[in-house]
Amino acid sequence: MRRFDLVLPNTLEDCLKILAERGAQAKLVAGGTDLLPQMKNGALKPDLVIDLSGIARIRQVQNGDGLRIGAAVTARELELSPALRGVYLAIAESAAMVGSLQVRNLATVGGNLCNAAPSADMAPPLVALEAQAVIAGPGGERRVPMADFFTGVRQTVLAPNELLVELIVPPPGAHSGGQYLRHTPRRELDIAVVGVASQLTIADGRCTKARIALASVAPTPVRATAAERALEGQAVTPQLIERAATLAIEAARPIDDQRGSIEFRKHLVRVLTRRTLTTALARASA
Amino acid sequence: MSTMKTTRDIKGVGVSIPRPDGPEKVTGRVQYVADIQPRGLLHAKLLRSPHAHARILSIDTSAAKALPGVRAVLTAKDIPHLKKKAPTRAHAVLAIDRVVFMGQPVAAVAADELSIAEEALDLIKVEYQVLPASIDPLKAMLPGAPPVADAGTEADTSEALAHSAVAIAKSEAPAKAVNISQQARLQRGDPAKGFAESDHVLEKTYRVPMVHQGYLEAHAVLAEWDRNGLLTLWASTQGSFNTRSEVADVLGIPENQIRVIPVECGGGFGGKIRALCEPITAVLAQVTKRPVRYVMTRREELQAGMPAPQVIIKLKTGVKRDGTLMALDAETVIDSGAYSGAVLAVSAVFLGSMYKWPSFDVRGFEVLTHKPSVAAYRAPVAPQTIFAIESHMEQIARDLDLDSVEFRMRHLIQPGDPMVNGQPWQSNGARQVLARIAEHPHWKSRKQWVAAAGKNGKKRGVGLALGGWLGGLQPTGATVRLNPDGSLAVLTGQVDIAGTNISLAQIAASAYGVDTDMVRITTGDTDVAPMTGLSAGSKTIYTVGAAVLQAAEDARRQTFEIAAAELEASVHDLELVDGKVTVRGMPDKGITLATIGKKGNLYMSKTPPVLGKANPAFTQQAPGFAAQLARLEVDPDTGEVTLLDFVIVQDVGKAINPLGVEGQMQGGAVQSLGMALTEGLMFDDSGRLTNPSLLDYRKLTAADLPNLETIIVEVPAPAGPFGARGVGEPPIIPAPAAIANAIQDATGARLTELPMSPERIALALVNGKH
Amino acid sequence: MAKQILQCTVNGEPVEVLVQPYVTLLDALREDMGLTGPKEGCGTGDCGACTVHVDGKVVASCLMLAMQARGRKVRTIEGLAAADTTLHPLQDAFVRHGVPQCGFCIPGVLMAATALLEENPRPSEEEIRYGIAGNLCRCTGYTKMVAAISEAAGTLASQRSAR
Repeated sequence: MRRFDLVLPNTLEDCLKILAERGAQAKLVAGGTDLLPQMKNGALKPDLVIDLSGIARIRQVQNGDGLRIGAAVTARELELSPALRGVYLAIAESAAMVGSLQVRNLATVGGNLCNAAPSADMAPPLVALEAQAVIAGPGGERRVPMADFFTGVRQTVLAPNELLVELIVPPPGAHSGGQYLRHTPRRELDIAVVGVASQLTIADGRCTKARIALASVAPTPVRATAAERALEGQAVTPQLIERAATLAIEAARPIDDQRGSIEFRKHLVRVLTRRTLTTALARASA
Repeated sequence: MSTMKTTRDIKGVGVSIPRPDGPEKVTGRVQYVADIQPRGLLHAKLLRSPHAHARILSIDTSAAKALPGVRAVLTAKDIPHLKKKAPTRAHAVLAIDRVVFMGQPVAAVAADELSIAEEALDLIKVEYQVLPASIDPLKAMLPGAPPVADAGTEADTSEALAHSAVAIAKSEAPAKAVNISQQARLQRGDPAKGFAESDHVLEKTYRVPMVHQGYLEAHAVLAEWDRNGLLTLWASTQGSFNTRSEVADVLGIPENQIRVIPVECGGGFGGKIRALCEPITAVLAQVTKRPVRYVMTRREELQAGMPAPQVIIKLKTGVKRDGTLMALDAETVIDSGAYSGAVLAVSAVFLGSMYKWPSFDVRGFEVLTHKPSVAAYRAPVAPQTIFAIESHMEQIARDLDLDSVEFRMRHLIQPGDPMVNGQPWQSNGARQVLARIAEHPHWKSRKQWVAAAGKNGKKRGVGLALGGWLGGLQPTGATVRLNPDGSLAVLTGQVDIAGTNISLAQIAASAYGVDTDMVRITTGDTDVAPMTGLSAGSKTIYTVGAAVLQAAEDARRQTFEIAAAELEASVHDLELVDGKVTVRGMPDKGITLATIGKKGNLYMSKTPPVLGKANPAFTQQAPGFAAQLARLEVDPDTGEVTLLDFVIVQDVGKAINPLGVEGQMQGGAVQSLGMALTEGLMFDDSGRLTNPSLLDYRKLTAADLPNLETIIVEVPAPAGPFGARGVGEPPIIPAPAAIANAIQDATGARLTELPMSPERIALALVNGKH
Repeated sequence: MAKQILQCTVNGEPVEVLVQPYVTLLDALREDMGLTGPKEGCGTGDCGACTVHVDGKVVASCLMLAMQARGRKVRTIEGLAAADTTLHPLQDAFVRHGVPQCGFCIPGVLMAATALLEENPRPSEEEIRYGIAGNLCRCTGYTKMVAAISEAAGTLASQRSAR
């Protein structure tokens, strides 16, 4: 990597002070699993790097009234966290798929979201669970719904002087279940060709809320709103799932690239939506 | 000529002895080039062309030179003594006025730190005039395509020779097609008539992209000159003598001014035979008068390494309804990148003469494109060729409702049958390995197994394939020395990549008459060792093993002569047991090896030191064949393949060290399983590599594979040490065809392009390509 | 860009070295602490050759900045064998099963396998495969590795019950 200065703030306040002064030439590093490869291939050349690993406040997972996940919680911690069972399982599933064990012990949920690659695995479940991003800046904290957090490829609503601090995931209801699935050519060390998170909440035999979020089929994670509408208010049958899976394709605007063609990606949207809805229904009904 | 038979008991040969360097490797103590940290070390970085084809108009290095910590910045202008026309890629140390592939080195920097060197590259300003590029080999073959080579550059057949491929008659090349750098054509009989009389004609085009050899240690070299102008290179190389010769030729200095020390090599598989980074690193070291180290990044390896060629085979066969072979027509196009160097002949041999085609017309073309030039990759061109012929044979069998194994066996060559060039097939185990795999329970039970596919929605398939390698030859040398304590010291220059050193020790021990633990093998550098060939071509045991065996027998002869004189007996009455040479039947009348060894090193002694030597050349190749079987499941919706079982049957002649042989069989197979399922260097239309990282250049992980079952077959090679054949290359050859055949068995889809990715499989099923 | 003081524990010993802020933990271990066991195979976290333990967890040391290891416990391949140089059962099993070929992946694989067995003393074959799935090997095809790890798990289990 090219040379840079490094600062090691111990508190959130110190970090925000540095961002306020030098945020425009700085990059934040937590796990480094997205940042360092980009710095090594010259795509990013910051003068200053700010290490977040000393800030305890952003490393906690709490499950009380809703789930609070610190931005610097690692993928491995999410994978194993007892708080992420039951209704929140899709988040743990997505975290378990990132890279390899050696990467998951470093990669953070905040890094995955702020790097904002279209393939970010942890984004779809958080979108499907209607999480909120808590962002700290010079003026205090603000909250942004996950679905609005991403603005383009590798672009988010974060200003250069702001920091993602934690995610708040509201409880989706007692009979709710979700799953995240992705397709990759290999079983490990890989990146989503398409990823789908489905979350269904059921009451009295009907779907009261359906959220389906797609990765790698648009510049940002997208919700398959037509599919969601087809499910809500209905009894969820295999036929309805199939219909929703087909409608989900409408939300996808994939590109042809060396990881997958448009045709394959659309095909996978249907397959993975069908599969995650089927599992979400089973988990919601359990 | 060597005597490979021995009447004494074989001690050591055939035993699974773990490699002696195992403890050093599992403790992280073994040193690779990047681990060597001399004082005053400078780090090298290369600026590489961002265009596949361009003229260099100007280079401004002034800002880079001014950066503190930078010790040298070089362009071609600074190395005027290098050859103007680059006959090989190694000679193109830095591009002179034209770049011919994206990633070609244009400037070189040496700096105190790698980070400073990287920043220096940013400060070098190069003006390019972008030129049209030839990227697709089929387009590059056409007259009028943008030319790649400088006019008059000869075809480079050194790679073919290194792998001892059969020499093929050259064909006259029509002068208009500027990018066809090698051509060959072989014919037998009247194929047109054969096709006319056929009931079943099958025509398919098989494609395999460029793949990287995938060694985990990137190219690395450390260079330092002494005050006498002697250059020392610590290199990660498969052949220190070859490296020395190439570097000497490129730099225009005598070979005895260069010492190449082969450092532990973290994988080569053919990609570390030709010189690549050594010349420029040597020049930087010369200019800075400091040790300079260059280690390629993974990105550079993928973008600008020396991959295996892209291979496109158009194959047409004609057979009768009952399976009688009638005619074969094949055209192989090998995309060699920007410099010639592919092994053309192998494809012709295996397309036309692994099975007995009565008539054929096989044409091969090497084509140049504006992409990184190629080098060997474990059995160069053979996996791709076998992918074509073995997929094709399976399809014919299926179409005609013939048994896969019987159909092959019926037409498979026997030793003595002619190859495409008229030479007879040497003794080989092709029929034996095919017969053996047909006996495997996975093959015998295949129909029931496929039918018993579970309720997980996945489809099951079983497939097999057969392939072989002719076996390399290269002259070599070895010495065996008796130490004053009765132990043996064996010296070769052979880089130990595959664990061959322990097998060589076993051979020396058995040939001389001691236990293997009395023998130590040293791999000497080019100053110290006898002339040695490449660790490649599946010939280390076959040739170096033979040399070691002969040297050990020579040492034994000398030992017995000394003992005979001391004991006043005839050499024919002596035997060597437990470290003592005794008169047969008189165990008290003897002399220990230690005594003989000491006498040879004593002041004023009349006894010579025992030094056995051998420096053989070889003429007889020893082909090695392997048959492989795959059992897999396919998810028809996503196209994902789960490989459940994989069996490798290989004829190794004689397994000198079964543990080592198994490792070669498994490792080789997994390399081409990657070629089959997930690997490929993907270039876009501008010649840019779109997957320059290991995230997108996908090698198989442990989670993608099952246990690989190995079955060793031994059909002795007449000229091999204890009957041994080369082992390294055959196992990489059949796997892609076995997988393709299994996928067809599972889904009905016949895929003819690698990798057989989930996308290709899923879309073949979606689009109804059954 | 002044150097910074990195204080941490490496293979059980306290360490204090001056490091450039822009070097990775892998670079610092190799160049500043002389521990060349961990290797660079790709530099981007895609091959596992740089695997070390940080606070008992396997990490890709090529993706950590050296200063991110401050105050933490690092363990490399050089710290796997016992103080009296007796090989760890995993190392011994690897040698006897003929696992190392070129050897370049081995330090990383052993560190991954060690962490696996510390967390899951009786792994199934599938769990072993996933435990080393972040470590690419081009020479061996992984079969002998899995067998060696399985055997070492048994050895460690009997060592534990013997105590």
